[in-house]
Amino acid sequence: MRTPFVTLLAAAVLGTAAAAGPAAPAAAADATPAPDQAYLYIGWPNDGQVLAANRPIRVWFGLRNMGVAPKGVKFPNTGHHHLLIDAATPGPGVEIPSDRNHLHFGAGETETTIELPPGRHTLQLVMGDERHVTFDPSVASRKITVTVK
Amino acid sequence: MRKTIVLMAGAACLYAMPLHARTPAPENAQVYFIWPGDGAVVRHAFWVRMGLRNMGVAPKGTDVAATGHHHLLIDTDLPANMNEAIPNDRNHLHFGAGETEARVELPPGRHTLQLLLGDKDHIPHDPPVHSKKITVTVQ
Repeated sequence: MRTPFVTLLAAAVLGTAAAAGPAAPAAAADATPAPDQAYLYIGWPNDGQVLAANRPIRVWFGLRNMGVAPKGVKFPNTGHHHLLIDAATPGPGVEIPSDRNHLHFGAGETETTIELPPGRHTLQLVMGDERHVTFDPSVASRKITVTVK
Repeated sequence: MRKTIVLMAGAACLYAMPLHARTPAPENAQVYFIWPGDGAVVRHAFWVRMGLRNMGVAPKGTDVAATGHHHLLIDTDLPANMNEAIPNDRNHLHFGAGETEARVELPPGRHTLQLLLGDKDHIPHDPPVHSKKITVTVQ
């Protein structure tokens, strides 16, 4: 009698582990649904803009039908801005990296100034939820190209 | 004797606790209109884009340092009492969901617009973070 009980217990533990396993990485399955009609865009600079080198570039974050909340704050229909510089577009339900190509604005900032080396660069805004995970579908701006010279 | 002590204790409490401890504003915090500009001529329905520097946006009820949420004041002056919550009426629009843009509809004519940031309880910061009051003409 004792053996089946232990086996059952082991099965239960295994079952729990199996259930917890796939949930651990941020998968698209548990991504925060994007607010209806959410629209993210770069208010400035414009696509194709030529910018002076050695001068800070102000970037405006435009967001409609959605609100801004700092990281860690769970509030319906909000997220925080991430500015992607020369980076690939992340898909839905993906944790946005934090590095020099992925700037996080977890304090609820709605604009920033950046400096870029001379050359062509791409800029794109992507919203992250309170865990820095992209929405489903992802709320991302059009990727624009600027030239610094 | 006993009455005196109670009175004194009460007075001490009042003295120790300011009536409203307002949320401090970050240094250099600045709220401004990205759009429309002062003197702009707009259609009856237009987007207002709210700009904020050296500070972040957070929805109402969110207790995070150096944040607040936008309020759009239409055809009205700044509140006389900055220790109270910003009124919530057709002249004071609240953006407690962390919005940074708003679609506004106004009747034709001249109107004033001004932005005022509120803390988690809709109370202006100390010192208050507000924009210049601008005038727009609605066609």
